[in-house]
Amino acid sequence: MVQINFALKEVNCKIVFYGPGMSGKTTNLEIVHQKAPEENKGELTSISTDGDRTLFFDFMPLDLGNVAGMRTKFQLYTVPGQVYYNSTRKLVLQGVDGVIFVADSDAEKLQENIESYENLIENLAEYGKDIRELPHVIQYNKRDHPNAMPVDELDRTLNRFGVPTFEAVAVTGEGVFPTLKVLAGMVLESIDRMDNRRSSASRPAPRAEARAQAAPRAEAPAQSAPAAAPAAGGKRGQAPARPAGSPARRPVAPRGQAGPRPVAQRPSPSRVASSAARRRGGAAHADADQTRGTRTGGGRGVFVAVLSTLFLAAAVAGVVFFVMQNQQG
Amino acid sequence: MSDPGKMSANERLRHDRLTFYKEDIERIDRLLAEFLRLSGAKCALLIDKEGHLVTRRGEVRTIDMDTISALVAGSFAATKEMARLLGENEFTALYHQGTRDNIQLSLVGDRTLLTILFDDRTTVGMVRLYANETARKLSEIYGEANSRTTPDPQLDRDYGNSARRKLENLFD
Ligand SMILES: Nc1nc2c(ncn2[C@@H]2O[C@H](COP(=O)(O)OP(=O)(O)OP(=O)(O)O)[C@@H](O)[C@H]2O)c(=O)[nH]1
Ligand SMILES: [Mg+2]
Repeated sequence: MVQINFALKEVNCKIVFYGPGMSGKTTNLEIVHQKAPEENKGELTSISTDGDRTLFFDFMPLDLGNVAGMRTKFQLYTVPGQVYYNSTRKLVLQGVDGVIFVADSDAEKLQENIESYENLIENLAEYGKDIRELPHVIQYNKRDHPNAMPVDELDRTLNRFGVPTFEAVAVTGEGVFPTLKVLAGMVLESIDRMDNRRSSASRPAPRAEARAQAAPRAEAPAQSAPAAAPAAGGKRGQAPARPAGSPARRPVAPRGQAGPRPVAQRPSPSRVASSAARRRGGAAHADADQTRGTRTGGGRGVFVAVLSTLFLAAAVAGVVFFVMQNQQG
Repeated sequence: MSDPGKMSANERLRHDRLTFYKEDIERIDRLLAEFLRLSGAKCALLIDKEGHLVTRRGEVRTIDMDTISALVAGSFAATKEMARLLGENEFTALYHQGTRDNIQLSLVGDRTLLTILFDDRTTVGMVRLYANETARKLSEIYGEANSRTTPDPQLDRDYGNSARRKLENLFD
């Protein structure tokens, strides 16, 4: 939910990178963190497992600076994509103002993409939100994958609401900023619209009507996008160059992924969480693996869910302390 | 939660976004300052459930406020979910103990978290005692703010355009 603070003169909005496991959400955020100007970005905090899989979320504040007298900030989050972590994924979605759905172009991941998008719709619905009313865009990531599906095919299966789409190779940074820029623009537009709606709405504008209108193509994306949004999907193969000083590739980490996929090294300059979360993360991961598949099974599932949530709370507390002690001491 | 489908535009706005006004924040700041004086805590932060900082009082040095706020909100959300799974309505307070610093969180109203950082210059008992009272007074302020009928201040007319320009520059 957008927070407008007339005392601090701030506008805060929450943007979430959503999508199936390993689709490149964390990588997107890392690139934003690497490349955003120093004065605009805060720290990148990750609550992840040993194997670098997101456990709760990654977080990074992005400051747009002074906008018409209000300091405007985006809080960027990623969710854990693994099916198992739905309870925490849902928590991250709370109060979201805009979503970037990061899909994996690998043809073998099509079903996972579809299910994750379904899951997004469901989780939003649990917060009383209709995806058609929420600013969102889709990023087809891993365009460099040898088995990448053609974009128009992906579009037919995934882009049910005709939102703006982008091609990306997140590891090289390609497509990351264009995606974020358009989504951010849509979010800001929706804030603006909300204000206008109110100023012209002394009459009781009935919500039901607005909903119906919003049906297939909710956000009028092209118009709200600051740049040439509609064209964005077509910028195939643009700017493929590896950024200068791009990190060397690390050997394929034991992340359970087969094949010689290029794996970018994680630049971990300020992953505050890494040590705190890692220590505990390893344990939780093992726990998760052992209990996988039982989570839907009634009482035991609940027990497991309680345990993992309990663990998460502990991990987060650990991170909070880590940050505090680090910066205070 | 109320049904968004049955709201007027103004109600909808209050439902869709959280707005804080100067005069309310000034009252809240005074309240937090008084709380710090009485309880001996170091720092009090008011954070909304989405993890955005609302206001703060007290010594904070160089802690990254955005990060702390996001983590506190995440921590509280996880705990709340745990309560739900256990059949508890809600854990309204949460306490993390560290070697040097401690954190006490309490839910205020249904949308904000009062976050208190304190060390061994005071005790968790003292902090809780005054935190409860402060939370109650904060709820009163929210209640008054919500029932106010004066029109809300609005963002500048140029906000949308100005924001677009900034975005262009940022992502060049
Ligand atoms: N080939 C290729 N690999 C990529 C690309 N983007 C990300 N990867 C790799 O894919 C793997 C997973 O990326 P992450 O960013 O951790 O994925 P995630 O979506 O955050 O995964 P979860 O946290 O488990 O949900 C990493 O090894 C990345 O280096 C891409 O565009 N092309
Ligand atoms: Mg991740």
